[in-house]
Amino acid sequence: MTNKKILTGNEAISRGFFEGGGMIASSYPGSPTVQILDSLKQYEEIYSDWGTNEKVAMEIAIGGSISGARSMVSMKHVGVNIASDPFMTFTQTKTKGGLLLVVGDDPGLSSSQNEQDSRFWGKFANIPILDPGSPQEAKDFAIEGLKISEKFHTPVLIRIMSRLCHCRSAVELLDREEFVPEGFVAEQGRYSMLPPYSNTQQHFMKERMEKLQNFNEDYKYNLLEEGLGKDFLIITSGLIYESLKELELENISILKLGMIWPLPIQKIKKLCEEYSNIIVLEELLPFIEEQLKINEISAKGKEYFSFTGELTIEDVKRGLNKAGVLNNYTELEVSQNEEIITRTPMLCSGCPHRPVFHILKANNATVIGDIGCYSLGMNEPFEVHKTNISMGASLGMALGVATIQSKIKKQKPIVATIGDGTFFHSGMTGFIQLAKTTENITVIIMDNRTTAMTGGQNTPTTGDYFKEEVGYHCSIPDILKSFGIVDIIVVDQFKYKETKESINNAMKRTGLSVIVTTRPCALNFKIKSSHFYVDENICISCRSCIRTNCPPISMKMYPGHEKKNSYINPDMCVGCSVCSQVCPVGAIKCSSETVQEGVK
Amino acid sequence: MSVKNIYLAGVGGQGLVLTTEIIVEVAFSEGYDVKSNDVIGLSQRGGKVWGSIRFGEKVHSALIPKGEGDLLLAMEELEGLRLSESLKNGAKIIFNKEIIFPNRVLIEKDEYPQNIREGLIEKGYEVISLNAKEISRELGNIKTENIVLLGRLSRYLPFKEETWLKVIEIKVPAKTVEVNFSAFKAGRLA
Repeated sequence: MTNKKILTGNEAISRGFFEGGGMIASSYPGSPTVQILDSLKQYEEIYSDWGTNEKVAMEIAIGGSISGARSMVSMKHVGVNIASDPFMTFTQTKTKGGLLLVVGDDPGLSSSQNEQDSRFWGKFANIPILDPGSPQEAKDFAIEGLKISEKFHTPVLIRIMSRLCHCRSAVELLDREEFVPEGFVAEQGRYSMLPPYSNTQQHFMKERMEKLQNFNEDYKYNLLEEGLGKDFLIITSGLIYESLKELELENISILKLGMIWPLPIQKIKKLCEEYSNIIVLEELLPFIEEQLKINEISAKGKEYFSFTGELTIEDVKRGLNKAGVLNNYTELEVSQNEEIITRTPMLCSGCPHRPVFHILKANNATVIGDIGCYSLGMNEPFEVHKTNISMGASLGMALGVATIQSKIKKQKPIVATIGDGTFFHSGMTGFIQLAKTTENITVIIMDNRTTAMTGGQNTPTTGDYFKEEVGYHCSIPDILKSFGIVDIIVVDQFKYKETKESINNAMKRTGLSVIVTTRPCALNFKIKSSHFYVDENICISCRSCIRTNCPPISMKMYPGHEKKNSYINPDMCVGCSVCSQVCPVGAIKCSSETVQEGVK
Repeated sequence: MSVKNIYLAGVGGQGLVLTTEIIVEVAFSEGYDVKSNDVIGLSQRGGKVWGSIRFGEKVHSALIPKGEGDLLLAMEELEGLRLSESLKNGAKIIFNKEIIFPNRVLIEKDEYPQNIREGLIEKGYEVISLNAKEISRELGNIKTENIVLLGRLSRYLPFKEETWLKVIEIKVPAKTVEVNFSAFKAGRLA
């Protein structure tokens, strides 16, 4: 009897790392791969901890690997940009303990700022790429990846699609292979990547890739399913293979690749000679297709399938129809007789970012944004953030904007926002740059004591606010003071008037002003207060409260009234009191006298 | 047996992911091949969320082919309407009478659609409606709204009641097992 369990793709990666003898793992939280490290915590044999950013996480895994341990680092696609500095040099070394780099791609950008195709890292860094298509394969490939890593002395990239990260299905569980690493052994030339040692490694990497290609030529995870005819061969890999299988095409042959870099090009070449048409089915860019074309295989792919977004089963059908694979395809009619209104994400009830955006909207500030829940400040009705680029980018960008505005004699106060998670991830270097500026820059650090957007992982300020939390913690104002920054104001943004004054005054001062807002995330640290309500007979329908954009607050027609007044849904209100503070006539009242307090 | 396709639709914070997880575990416990998928990430901040579950003898993709949804659990009216376009003709919709205004309705730039339920009936769907929040409120815990809905949905799935209860017991917080059992049973009878 086999031992099977339902796992998500993310959990399956963790399980595979566990079974394969993994010992040390790190990551930085980012959708879609957050759950990989979260679910590693159940295995006490494995050290796992969030890194300060992806680069530190990568370095922890590298340290594990050079000590002989099987190591893993996981991140979302854009995280690799941060981690690439150590990685692009580490890849030159002869890997000792198996090292997995697990990267979650996000076709369709459901929670990302770009759609970069991580497979190109494999080519760039001279490493193999495994592309799992199901939770079972995610687990198998984690184990395989560790073996390949140690056999060929290479880091291994596992590229996993966001859809697979969150897909659940049954996975067969095996026992853990116990593996005790040797520990760090000094070998001068092995890890000291400077000439002359690093010159020879260029040849090492070239040979490594040649050996890997040979290995891949008959790798057991490249599966050929022969159909009845010889008209079409579809070459595919990963999750999209499962969508293709839904079509039940009997006459078509399918080559499903498990290792997609380096390609088993001899095998593919030979196979392609048997078929009249070669079609490549892959999501995002034509990575496999281009490689086949370089090798003079007349493959077609992106003329049938989109280079962007997620491919649905319908997209696969449509593309294959265009390619002439399907005979009797008819597009399903969609009843487009009504336009359905949208629902965009919004800040939660009682979110402490809300009063800050309300203030910045009112004073019409030029705001350079950053990455986190507060990125939602670019959406209606606030539309406060004018930029959203990358983690920590708000600081340097604010300096660049302010400098140019000065140079062209169009000075204006520039505001940047950054959260505590992003501050520690990559904000501190930016602050050192800003410390000596003479431009009028105000940075608001929205210290909500957690990495909120990814589900509430602790940051170094979690314990600073909640004194009962054990372990390491630190204070952002103290850090900034040590940088020589003096204009620092700490405010509780649920004291609306005080916060408004602080922000408006800071924007009048030249040089760097920092405002640290201290209220914790309303989702992680529940506010324990009674709900608020609108006295509709006092309400003057001015919509000041509506402009705070809190989910429970809407306009409603009360019986006997001529125009709409505002209304607070008591089931949704958490009692933060901000709406009552922006109401000019005192129409919003608390349903009891309970004092609101942040409690975890 | 052919593959059965279930959609779930709702708003971030309604417990859609846990609900999906429970259905998957129940189908698995009863010996089916099962796959599910849910959209999380940015959408958990009050955005639209949806999930799909497919079970049968053999399931390849977790994605439901267009127009092949057999059953929809609409946890919120507007999101139910949005996903109804992916259903088969005449599919069943478990319709929660719950309205959560999206951002643009709150700021008066859009109107929340009227008579969603009637529109779905007119289109030929079999609409089974209930007010799960009121049922859960009577039970003393409005957070069990999703389990009430699950109870109602369970009537149209070929799984044993004891399997449902066994999985719920494992998946919900220990302190809330009893109230969730009551919620499931209340939904099943609703």
